[in-house]
Amino acid sequence: MAAFATTPGAAATARIAGFVATLRSNGFVIGQRETEDALSLAGSVGIMERQPLRWGWRSLLCTRAADWVRFDDLFDSYWLPPNKQGLGETRAGGAGLVTMAEDAWNGAGRAGPVLQRDEVEDDTGLPGDTAAQDGASATATIETADFRSLSDRLQTYAIEAAIRDFARRLKRLRIRREQSRRRGARIDLRQTLRLSVGTGGSPHTLRFRAPRRVRPRLVLLLDVSRSMSLTSFFYLRVARSLALELGDVHVFLYHTQLTHVSEALRDSDPWRAQERLQLLSAGWAGGTRIGECLGSFNRLHAGRLVHARTAVIVASDGYDTGPAGILGAEMAALSRRAHRIIWFNPAKADPRYAPVARGMREAMPFIDLLTAGNSLTALEAALSQVVASL
Amino acid sequence: MGEGRMAAIQAMQQSLEAAGYICERDLAATLLLMSELQRPLLVEGAPGVGKTEIAKVLARTRKTSLIRLQCFEGLDVHHALYEWNYQRQLLAIRMAEAAGSSALDEEALFSGSYLLKRPLLEALLHATPAVLLIDEVDRADEAFEAFLLEVLSDYQVSIPEMGTISAVSIPLVVLTSNASRELSDALRRRCLYHYLDSPSFAKELAILQLRLPQIEDRLGRQIVEFAQALRQLGLKKQPGLAETLDWAAALLGLGVSSLDEAGSDRIRNTLSTLLKTQEDVRAMEPVVLDRLLALAG
Repeated sequence: MAAFATTPGAAATARIAGFVATLRSNGFVIGQRETEDALSLAGSVGIMERQPLRWGWRSLLCTRAADWVRFDDLFDSYWLPPNKQGLGETRAGGAGLVTMAEDAWNGAGRAGPVLQRDEVEDDTGLPGDTAAQDGASATATIETADFRSLSDRLQTYAIEAAIRDFARRLKRLRIRREQSRRRGARIDLRQTLRLSVGTGGSPHTLRFRAPRRVRPRLVLLLDVSRSMSLTSFFYLRVARSLALELGDVHVFLYHTQLTHVSEALRDSDPWRAQERLQLLSAGWAGGTRIGECLGSFNRLHAGRLVHARTAVIVASDGYDTGPAGILGAEMAALSRRAHRIIWFNPAKADPRYAPVARGMREAMPFIDLLTAGNSLTALEAALSQVVASL
Repeated sequence: MGEGRMAAIQAMQQSLEAAGYICERDLAATLLLMSELQRPLLVEGAPGVGKTEIAKVLARTRKTSLIRLQCFEGLDVHHALYEWNYQRQLLAIRMAEAAGSSALDEEALFSGSYLLKRPLLEALLHATPAVLLIDEVDRADEAFEAFLLEVLSDYQVSIPEMGTISAVSIPLVVLTSNASRELSDALRRRCLYHYLDSPSFAKELAILQLRLPQIEDRLGRQIVEFAQALRQLGLKKQPGLAETLDWAAALLGLGVSSLDEAGSDRIRNTLSTLLKTQEDVRAMEPVVLDRLLALAG
């Protein structure tokens, strides 16, 4: 439904297609129709009109706030010569809130943050070429988390069985909103009358109203720092099984920064899921900043993900290298939002364990359930505790 | 050609301003694009930055009616699209029975006169393009979102008893969301997108002067400085534009002519218009208030 008559020339079209491909590889969701509209907009506005084009494309091609804050930078880096970059309009809200490519898998060879500061050389004019450039930070890969065991067969089967059992037992909570049902205590007058129209106004079939039931939402925050390396792979596999089994599961990984990995984890091919995680986590340095990562979760994601029926599961040993006090404050903020906070700490497997690490001490007052869950038997025990606590 | 575009954007901005809505040029560009492409617009942003106002002002500038659908959890087709007027239908049946059965035509029972139009249908059947505001779409559940997607892509609805009804006019659709739930990619892709940031100093001042023309220049500047500084504090509930306007009205009502002369006690009494949670009130210690007042003065 192109509202504009003209389209730009072939060279400009290829450049624009390259821009759209760049946006796509940065996690933008752009369909064929949006691409066509972007082209025809360029045709009608004029390819040299930078500002109207920027505004128009931004409305057209962005779909969420995370896209919105990155768009200007991506636009500048693609269209402006390097010495003009950064002169674009200043933006409130802070660019670069999210610098991870959700589907970095597609941009082979690119790792982590993908803001390209170099002007792209467009030799062939083919859209695919411009999108597959190496990111500026390819050299910043210091350490990569170990996700190899994500595809270990036997253990995966055992975990999946445990998770299936868990999903079945994860009871559906009653909420106050009602919906029409076949069975219930109160008659649904509206639906009953509607059905009675077919039988001449006499109500043959009764409909009832009953409280809706929903499954609690799960949000997992997994610590993948080096101190957790012995158990984090196990938690990851649990997270993958959970994400595949249940719909409303959201998984984040953190050690110095926080990354949303639900999409990558859900990939039906375990090898590809592993690759995608590898790419998403590239460039992470050592150390654990639990407090700051929880803080960025609270700021960026908690608003839309955590509601009164959400159980947040944090997996960490509580060795926090960030400044004191932050973890406690962020846990307090999170506990106000969430229904339950469940903490998986592998050290809890030792019966003599006491939460003496500073991070653990700060977090303890806000934890509803502290459990180990670091092996199959421990996991089964932990999951029944989780079900009971919800 | 490009010159013409910028001029068109500026004209749009001016007509919005004439209707009482001050916005940046990029929003004007988005609204222009929205009417050209006839696509719905999804607006996100913090509460109180004027998302809903966009739809209202669009209706005013185009001199058409605003049809509003407020979403909530459990919203269904009967609240949003149409419903049969069962009581009236039953009444008609009974009356026909009393008068002798041949009088009732079954076709007539499912005709327009027994149909209650809800906002979506009303917008589609409006003679001239109306402005349809779908407010806080993130509160409705996923099932409704899928249904909405269908309506917004074809601009036609099917009512089983009457068949498919296509739009008489294609409405301008504005959806707002507070990001309390993640919307589906499909719906997001259907829509143009605009993210409304907290207003800048100049914009907030201009809006304040437009809404409260009697306010003195100095007080207006101080109020906006104060509100801008307050947003930097990291409060639990950020005060939006509406709160600033309320506060200014409260200060005017108390006869305050400038913040530095009013004294912090009098100002503290009016802060209930800005601070909306217990924690924020507690965070506003006398020291903090004095510092903010010094900044604004």
